[in-house]
Amino acid sequence: MDILQNTLASFISLVPVTLAQSLILAFVVLGIMIPFRMLSFPDLTSEGAFPLGGCVCGVLMAAGMSPLAAIAIALVAGFVAGCCTAFIHLRFRIHTLLAGILMMTMLYSINLRIMGRSNLSVFGASTVFDWAPGLQPGFPASKIVVAGMIALIVFFLLYHFFRTEKGTAVRAVGANPDMAEAQGINVWLATIGGVGLAGAFSAASGALMVQSQGFADVNMGLGILINGLAALMIGEAIVGKQNVLCQLAAPFVGAIVYYQLVSFCLAAGMPPPDLKLATGLFVLAMLALPSLKRSRGPAPARETVRE
Amino acid sequence: MLEIRSARKVFYKGQADEKVALDGLDLSLATGEFGVVIGSNGAGKSSMLNAISGALVLDSGQIVINGDDVTAMPVHKRAMRLARVFQDPMRGTAASMTVAENMLLAELRSNKRTLRRGLNATRLAAYRERLSLLGLGLENRLDTRVELLSGGQRQSLSLIMAVGGEPELLLLDEHTAALDPRTADIVMQATIRAVEALKLTTLMVTHNMQHAVDFGHKVIMLDAGRVRLEIDGKDKAQTTVPDLIGHFSVKTDRMFLAS
Repeated sequence: MDILQNTLASFISLVPVTLAQSLILAFVVLGIMIPFRMLSFPDLTSEGAFPLGGCVCGVLMAAGMSPLAAIAIALVAGFVAGCCTAFIHLRFRIHTLLAGILMMTMLYSINLRIMGRSNLSVFGASTVFDWAPGLQPGFPASKIVVAGMIALIVFFLLYHFFRTEKGTAVRAVGANPDMAEAQGINVWLATIGGVGLAGAFSAASGALMVQSQGFADVNMGLGILINGLAALMIGEAIVGKQNVLCQLAAPFVGAIVYYQLVSFCLAAGMPPPDLKLATGLFVLAMLALPSLKRSRGPAPARETVRE
Repeated sequence: MLEIRSARKVFYKGQADEKVALDGLDLSLATGEFGVVIGSNGAGKSSMLNAISGALVLDSGQIVINGDDVTAMPVHKRAMRLARVFQDPMRGTAASMTVAENMLLAELRSNKRTLRRGLNATRLAAYRERLSLLGLGLENRLDTRVELLSGGQRQSLSLIMAVGGEPELLLLDEHTAALDPRTADIVMQATIRAVEALKLTTLMVTHNMQHAVDFGHKVIMLDAGRVRLEIDGKDKAQTTVPDLIGHFSVKTDRMFLAS
């Protein structure tokens, strides 16, 4: 009983910190979901775009730039990175996954170049979280409010966009690229723009993370992809993915639930080094579930993705 | 109006399995004319349609639609002028999107896509009306994802999508071949109604000789990448199924001799 109480007590004390963290990381999950679900383009760029955003933001903040401008420039950097991945895939007909691996590997060196060293402290510099109305800066509450507001704005903008004429066209590219092209949609433009947008979200998440934790590190992206994927799977299991609204809500819901789960596991005494194995097994289980369920049924449901 | 001028396409050029798909093919179709293309497998029918739609880049020759040379235009630019229905119902629709969304995509084929709301009440009402013409009940399933429709329903939807924007040129690629006889008949009747009502310039590939006899203003027979036979006007009206099959057997004999 004692163990349970201790676990619960330490878990509950961590809830606000974890919530703040998950709202920031929800943007990476969004950056994974958009190419994966909207464009059928499994994209690994986020593993490099997340630290890219962090490094760009860190360097600019250390140079005294305003936190918002630093995020904006990080966003642009992430957008360019995403565009590059899509371009590599389209122009050279390289498999989407390989294009992503190439890009994230190259980004590691670029991130080191940008920072000039492997980590950089920006502790004490002003951040967007200082602007939370009526709250003391530096506490989880201010982070929750600021990150939550950005998340809401992004959510509604994307929800509106994917139901516009242009947004419907982008989704068609993911659903059936040949048909989309035959309907006059520029598949290159939609793919590059969409994957670029996803890279921008991943980078923005990295930038927010740096402002939240007070330092940038080239290794901050390690494993972010598998965490994001796990969060996406959880979100889709909870809210579904049958329409645009659910599909867009899934990353946010998933991120919030997933990081609370992780926090609970850690509070329950799970050794942190085992976390990646556990997450990987979880994602595997979620991806394998449809084919296990239908092993006796008709055609096994596989993820259809572009190659 | 469609004109194909000495179109040539060779696959695997310079290799042992070199294949001449289009061998100086010339073809013209007047505005409002309905051409039916027949020919055995490998005669170049699909290559010709792909060359017209832009999916296949010609080695030489020109494609002219309504007086404009579109030879160098990518597929998505040509889509403003032409619509295509594929043999495979899966290819012409976006499976994971709803019926209404597919209709929207087709409507926007020849228009500029804006940042305004895609599916509004006016459009939904228009789609409901257009789909009700088919008599398949699709008008009540606007929010159904297309992957849940039967092959016949999907193909009917593809057809409605294709004729919707009154394209300058309609390409039908054996579009009833994958359907059961009854559904094939429904889709074929709907095709004829739409083509006649809108006076669409149409090119239909078919292996169904009865269709080739019954429909269209002219029959074009392809063989080894070129036009072997064109029957139009009065001759077309008198042509029978055995006549057409006769041309096939002549060709087959020749193939035997050549091989």
